[in-house]
Amino acid sequence: MRYDWRNLSADRAPLAVAVVLGAAIAYGAFNGSEWIRFQNRAISEALAEERERFDRIRDEIPRIESGEKTVTVFADPRQPQSFGRNMGTRYAVMPPAALGALAIGQSDLYPYYFRVSTNSKQTFLNNDEVENPVHLLAGRFDLAFVLLYLYPLVILAFSYNLVSSEKESGTLALTLSQPVSLRRVVMAKVLLRAAFVAALAVLLSAAGVIIGGANLAAEGAWPRLLLWAAVTAVYGAFWFALAIAVNALGRGSATNAMTLAGAWLLFVIVIPSVLNVTIKAVYPVPSRVELIQAIRVAGDESTREGSKLLARYLEDHPELAPPSKGPAGPPDFGTLLVAVNEATERKVQPVLAEFDAQLANQQSMADRLRYLSPAIVAQSAFNDLAGSSAHRYKHFLAGVDEYHRQWRGFFVPRILKKEKLNAGDLARLPSFTFREEPTAAVTGRAGVAFVGLLIAALLAGIPAVMALRRYPVAG
Amino acid sequence: MLEATALSKSYNGTIALHPLDLRIEPGEIFCLLGANGAGKTTTINLFLNFIPPTSGTAKIGGLDVVQQPLESKRLLAYIPEQVMLYKNLTGIENLEYFTSLAGGSHTKTELMGFLEGAGLARTDADKRVGAYSKGMRQKVGIAIAIAKKARALLLDEPTSGLDPKASNEFSELLKKLSGAGAAILMATHDLFRAKETGTRVGIMKHGHLVAQYSTSELGHADLERIYLEHMHD
Repeated sequence: MRYDWRNLSADRAPLAVAVVLGAAIAYGAFNGSEWIRFQNRAISEALAEERERFDRIRDEIPRIESGEKTVTVFADPRQPQSFGRNMGTRYAVMPPAALGALAIGQSDLYPYYFRVSTNSKQTFLNNDEVENPVHLLAGRFDLAFVLLYLYPLVILAFSYNLVSSEKESGTLALTLSQPVSLRRVVMAKVLLRAAFVAALAVLLSAAGVIIGGANLAAEGAWPRLLLWAAVTAVYGAFWFALAIAVNALGRGSATNAMTLAGAWLLFVIVIPSVLNVTIKAVYPVPSRVELIQAIRVAGDESTREGSKLLARYLEDHPELAPPSKGPAGPPDFGTLLVAVNEATERKVQPVLAEFDAQLANQQSMADRLRYLSPAIVAQSAFNDLAGSSAHRYKHFLAGVDEYHRQWRGFFVPRILKKEKLNAGDLARLPSFTFREEPTAAVTGRAGVAFVGLLIAALLAGIPAVMALRRYPVAG
Repeated sequence: MLEATALSKSYNGTIALHPLDLRIEPGEIFCLLGANGAGKTTTINLFLNFIPPTSGTAKIGGLDVVQQPLESKRLLAYIPEQVMLYKNLTGIENLEYFTSLAGGSHTKTELMGFLEGAGLARTDADKRVGAYSKGMRQKVGIAIAIAKKARALLLDEPTSGLDPKASNEFSELLKKLSGAGAAILMATHDLFRAKETGTRVGIMKHGHLVAQYSTSELGHADLERIYLEHMHD
């Protein structure tokens, strides 16, 4: 092994590879951290805007109350319908995860903050497709991209001619005339290369984490980072195993290189894209145009039915009915809107449900079929660990949904009772804090991916090592 | 020391080696003669366990090479037509590597001694093998055999392409090794070397060992005449 290293190092190849891979990883980490910085900036700008708005309102309320300032009904922050719908809306924000810089994944497709109002959810929620075909094919140039695409190539470049080159140069015969088995020789060579490549990948990932400014103090950051390294290692092991398997067939170096390049293309490019197309064909998502159309139609209908809806709404929620002492005048705008929103939401529900169901179907099919390619399994693990997976996004949406309910729960009764807000109410507003997914859930999913990759590596490696026994040394 | 019993090899029905019975004792140098494709290399590869025999057994020092591949290789040294070494390592590093595979560990002085014993100049030992001539590489091959204290040597046309002086040096080394008790099996086209160095010669044709002679019974002219007679169909 020591000599093999000397042999390798005399070649300059490892150095060149280390430089290229290092540069790619550094660039990937830099890209990731740029994205995180961008997200953080957007979030802090949003929050600053909210703070400013609230400062202004807090300042305005006493002045309006004292009659120092007069405003129209719509511009009056004390009106719950104006405040809850527009003036006082607050942001629900999902901050980047601790290791977010490592894998951008599809996080650039998902909104990471919403401005939650009393309006129906569709007005601020973007129901996007979970799987974007472009992004399963080629994502951003982040660390996960380097590890998924380039790292296997580096491994293959190191090992495609592991045995065949020794056979071609004639050193294999001399080696095997010594009391060693081919398996031991191959194992030593693989371990050396694996140690080199994996050390490179793990160390540079660690460097990437530091460059990317990951928050290692965050809860669950260390288990995630360790799993990240483990998934990287076992994904690499799969490619090494594949290289041994191809070498064990006893063909020449050129054939090996072609075969392995084909395998790379198949696992990293072809299967993911075919899978994507297949899933889309099996579970087509209703077009977004249809969805938007349905929301509009429902909105129009509800608005037309306005007062009828209000009556029905109040029948359903008698506790919210305004005190019926005075003469029942025409319902005001805010009250109507509550009912209209409610009805719209109810009407849109089936279309949305179909949308969600198809997305869920797609996701579960993708989850099952991802084992066709280790690249997809590794990708899903990387995204999970970096917090850019669909799972974390769904978790965020659920939180936003809950917050939206709280927000309405706070405003709707006040709108219907026509209670004005006062300065004290500002402090009682519901607020949103993103709770990170439980670490166990994330590590559980990544752990399953790890086991899947391990099985793939063993499936390729065990027959390969068996086949080495019958390797045609001569003839 | 080297023993083949009804050893044969066929590839998909084509017989490369008909059942062969052969014994080579310590101190003997057995030279296998014959045209290309006569089965000389096949015989050597069978002893090396590089190819599995179709039938029969090959034994080295009483160890079946298929049953006990690693143990039998401890006794063995192999010098192919081209001793291919790692080009990026020096001669002494190559020697160190191959002897370490055999489980030996030697000091630098010992290694240098082996190389000198094989006739390699001290100044060449620290040069990269990439710059070596064929003769120099053969010497490293011999040094490996010396370091390993090989009891059996398998040589596959080791002198072809060597200049007469190098070839002569090589033969002297073989005699020294056989004098020390090694059993040597050498495939060669060099009738002169075979007569000079060998204790016995065997002539192979179409996978058969058709004749065996003790070199002391023969003159140079006899060997050539007999060889050519056998080569006529």
